[in-house]
Amino acid sequence: MSTQIISVLVEDEAGSLTRMSGMFSRRGINIHSLTVSPSEKEGMSRMTIITTGDKREIERIEKQLNKIIEVVKVNMLDKNTSVVRDLCLLKVYADKENRAEIIEIANAFKSNIVDISIRTITLEISADPLDIDRFVETMKNYGIKELFRTGVTAISRDIEKKSGG
Amino acid sequence: MNEGLKGTEIVVKCLKEENIKHIFGFPGGSLIPLYNELYEETDVRNILVRHEQGAVHAADGYARASGNTGVCMATSGPGATNLITGLLNATMDSIPLVAFTGQVPTSAIGTDAFQEADTFGITMPITKHNFLVKSTDRLSWTIKGAFKIANTGRKGAVVIDLPNDVQQAASKEYHHGEVKFAGYNPNIVPNPLQLKRIAQKLIEAERPLILAGGGIIHANASEDLRLLAEYLGAGVATTLMGKGAIPENHPLSLGMVGMHGRLGANKMINSCDALLVIGCRFSDRTTGWGLESFAPEAIKIHCDIDSSELNKNIPVDFPLVGDASLVIRNLIKFIKKYEDVKKETNIWRKRVNQLHGMCEECETTKHKEDKLTPEVIIKTINNFLDENAIVTTEVGQNQMFAAHYYITKKPRQFISSGGLGTMGFGFPAAIGAKVAKPDNQVLDIAGDGSFLMVCQELATAVAEDIPVVVAVLNNSFLGMVRQWQELFWDKRYSGTKLGTIPDFVKLAESFGAYGERVENVGDVEKALKNAFDSGVVSVLDFKIESETNILPMIPPGGRVDEMIGVGRCQHR
Ligand SMILES: Cc1ncc(C[n+]2csc(CCOP(=O)(O)OP(=O)(O)O)c2C)c(N)n1
Ligand SMILES: [Mg+2]
Repeated sequence: MSTQIISVLVEDEAGSLTRMSGMFSRRGINIHSLTVSPSEKEGMSRMTIITTGDKREIERIEKQLNKIIEVVKVNMLDKNTSVVRDLCLLKVYADKENRAEIIEIANAFKSNIVDISIRTITLEISADPLDIDRFVETMKNYGIKELFRTGVTAISRDIEKKSGG
Repeated sequence: MNEGLKGTEIVVKCLKEENIKHIFGFPGGSLIPLYNELYEETDVRNILVRHEQGAVHAADGYARASGNTGVCMATSGPGATNLITGLLNATMDSIPLVAFTGQVPTSAIGTDAFQEADTFGITMPITKHNFLVKSTDRLSWTIKGAFKIANTGRKGAVVIDLPNDVQQAASKEYHHGEVKFAGYNPNIVPNPLQLKRIAQKLIEAERPLILAGGGIIHANASEDLRLLAEYLGAGVATTLMGKGAIPENHPLSLGMVGMHGRLGANKMINSCDALLVIGCRFSDRTTGWGLESFAPEAIKIHCDIDSSELNKNIPVDFPLVGDASLVIRNLIKFIKKYEDVKKETNIWRKRVNQLHGMCEECETTKHKEDKLTPEVIIKTINNFLDENAIVTTEVGQNQMFAAHYYITKKPRQFISSGGLGTMGFGFPAAIGAKVAKPDNQVLDIAGDGSFLMVCQELATAVAEDIPVVVAVLNNSFLGMVRQWQELFWDKRYSGTKLGTIPDFVKLAESFGAYGERVENVGDVEKALKNAFDSGVVSVLDFKIESETNILPMIPPGGRVDEMIGVGRCQHR
């Protein structure tokens, strides 16, 4: 079992999101997150899907996605050669005693403070989803009041070919 | 507003451009505009069915018999929902079909208006694709796109949901030429390198077997398949959908495999050393269970037009995407070069011929006893029908008796609901087939339960003068379910006894159809003759024993070669 990031370029037609998510549920495929956003191409959106499965299952998902008429391109992204990001907004309980400590941890995770009230601090972090998992785990010690994550989006890195040699 | 063509004019114009001459349909409020357009139309004829399920199955049968896209239409709400079974039926068997559904006006969509149904949402998972047309400007593009999707690549049903106002509004937009989709370009040309590797393996094989699926029939590749089998000395087994892909009286034909297939064909699967599977999706009714040991000694080669079928149910050694006809033609090209191929398969070829001969003998010789059995009836049908006859089936024992005993010699002449197993398919499908092929004899091998689900279409066949023959194998039971109850559930016949209701002869006569009851073996042929001579749709009520079984079969959980009820098989 491994985690797979799938980036899908899809035509903006009414119902195309339903068609994709319907395919996943109908074929018993688990997805961890699905995000949709505009793409650089007019009339097309990009969906980023995170799923897990063995090699055969992942291959099956790729083929089923390709079968959908509105799907223009399916990219199976490799974690090691892609930039992967998730955005998290998190409201944590903070009082006089531990406020400084929380801010210190937030800084260590390169998280921004976006709001402070007497009883809470609201933090923002954009990072690799695994880093966010660790951040959230740490913050649980102080008590999390609310948590929002946007889901993963990813882009491949352009690896320059080495010349000569 | 009054410029250009009205939506309904666009529909008819597109249908003509797609060369559609018949629509099977049933009107309603949301479809009055389109029906109004057809009122004086002579090139595109509406065949008025008596239930929308009849329309979609008839369009399906029309497509199977002709290879052209079948077209049906139904009104919004209940009309559209009545199409559901047939849409999935067509999609599961990869049949090209376009269904137009009426819809409430665009302004009313989402308000739970009278006869509003979310047809787009409901039909999404059961069609190859579907459209909701929100503007008349998009109508011609949509219709042409729908026909392209339905009848290219892996074929299937496409729904076009047509709001009332979109039908009535006018538009100057008219799409000429082919519709292109950025994300739809079915790859039908097989990879030459992979083809070469496969050809090599087939040449090396000593015991080659071809498993032919419906894809071969869809691709019109039957003639080439026969050639390939002859070059290789390969036995040819078929799925239910592949019946007719090779003439079943050909010495290399082994008949149908699977749960209700022939013992010989099933055994050959597990003893071949190369299995070439073309246009088949390895359904569980074909493979049985225990898939780890399916064709254990064979190099498995799987060619299909739909890449998502490759390695889906059964992992294979050589997957190949492509149109069956192109795959087979190219394989022949490679293999033709090797003259000595045939010699190496001599022993195997003999075994194939021997099995073919034994089954043929069993399935064609006259029974000694003079009981009226499904075997005798179908054997008589075999002899009675001419070579262009089309046989459809319902679902249940009747279907499997037909699959076993009806010897199909040409493609598109055995029409049966495979993937969905839809009772009530055969009769409307026969009507559709007869409309497509008016000069061919068309006969539905039916069960009493199945026929009763759609018998109202007798009215359609009488009114529209579509003289098909329904041969009801009347066992007064939902026979196939009863058989399972007998064999696997302690004979507890719960919910399967139909009794002798109705009187099928009187039922037929009340519609103005021909009806005849047959109780003796000696009367079968005469009854068939009477029916075909009557010139009207006919119902033959064959009274057979209630507790007959169709055997052999793979019991639930059994492997492909673990059949029960093999008593009469000589080669067991
Ligand atoms: C629409 C539908 N409902 C239920 C079934 C389940 N089923 C499969 S075979 C069968 C019995 C069919 O009875 P009949 O048409 O009399 O044929 P027989 O098996 O007796 O030849 C049933 C109920 C089905 N295939 N299709
Ligand atoms: Mg019956």
